[in-house]
Amino acid sequence: MSLSLLVLAAEPKVSLTAQTRILAAILALAFMLLILDLIRRDKLQERYSVVWFVAGLGMLVGAAFPGLLSIVADVMGVRDTNVALFSIVLLLLLGLALNFSVIMSRQAAQITRLAQERALDKARQQGASGNGDEPHGESAPAQSSRS
Amino acid sequence: MGESLEMSTLVFIPAWNEQDSVAEVIADVREQIPAADILVVDDGSVDATADHARAAGATVASLPFNQGLGAALQTGYLYALREGYDFCAHLDSDGQHPASEVARLLGEVVSDRADLVLGSRYRERGDGEPADADDYRPTFSRKVGTSVFRFFLTLATRQRFTDTTSGMRAANRRVMALFSENYSPDFAEIESLQLAVRQGLRVEEVPVRMLERAGGSSFLTPLRSAFFIFKGLVVLLVGMFRPRSVEAER
Repeated sequence: MSLSLLVLAAEPKVSLTAQTRILAAILALAFMLLILDLIRRDKLQERYSVVWFVAGLGMLVGAAFPGLLSIVADVMGVRDTNVALFSIVLLLLLGLALNFSVIMSRQAAQITRLAQERALDKARQQGASGNGDEPHGESAPAQSSRS
Repeated sequence: MGESLEMSTLVFIPAWNEQDSVAEVIADVREQIPAADILVVDDGSVDATADHARAAGATVASLPFNQGLGAALQTGYLYALREGYDFCAHLDSDGQHPASEVARLLGEVVSDRADLVLGSRYRERGDGEPADADDYRPTFSRKVGTSVFRFFLTLATRQRFTDTTSGMRAANRRVMALFSENYSPDFAEIESLQLAVRQGLRVEEVPVRMLERAGGSSFLTPLRSAFFIFKGLVVLLVGMFRPRSVEAER
């Protein structure tokens, strides 16, 4: 903390105003309530809600203790705390989007396999009812000039 | 093919909205490879493909929605594996692939000269047979794409392939086991080849005669071709660093 104070003294620091902090805290609380409500109404599964809940908590913590943000900004070598904030949020969203692509790919593979299993079951049913496989009358296999 | 009498063979045909040509292809296969069972993998067709195929006497495995060629082919391999067929082969449903050539491919795997055999449009036929008027002539974009893939696949597998996207293949049970579990839905043709070579399977190319498409047009527009090539390169690059599974060695 003493380090950040030193830096603070050295150059003018752009930081969060009280107004933005209050706004951010309200938004974070509303966001977390929304998440809870979505879970309550079965619109969101618990396992996918954790990451959003953590995001909401992070927002709240950031609003409550802006000093933390200043430290992070210093570590990043950014003078403007807001820039640091935006960069971090951007990175987090990028990670989240990637996470969803991974989940989506897994589900796409599962859907494909499910479709294949259903197709195979139907084909087996057809084979069992004697509808397929056996050549029908009109297409008696003609012996032809195969090598 | 004489030794295939006590061996069971499945010929499967992936079909997506090919109601006009599928019955003809089935009849062709039945005539040329009478010992084989025929399965049409209907890839979520919205036309009467499944009905026409059933009417022509084939078993039909209908995917509930369109899943792409890779998933359709995998369905065929899965069926062949589960139903205990010794060998399987597949050909396109649009009439480009003569069944007589498929029979030659099957001959190669039945006589155990290879695990996986591809029919190549480009590799020269040894017998110097003159080209027919309806023989396959590739379009320009197809030519470019094919040579790009050829180069990179050769690099990746250290084996020379001329027709990397060939949809006419014959395979034995080792290949069925591999492809029914690991078959990229996005890039079936290239990745499967790379995979098979990496797993130590014997992959062989046989020159075949292919015909111009009977109906429909190729799905390859220039933009799609570019995307196709890009996807293919990513797949090949990633495939080089994929861990070799020991499963297929059993």
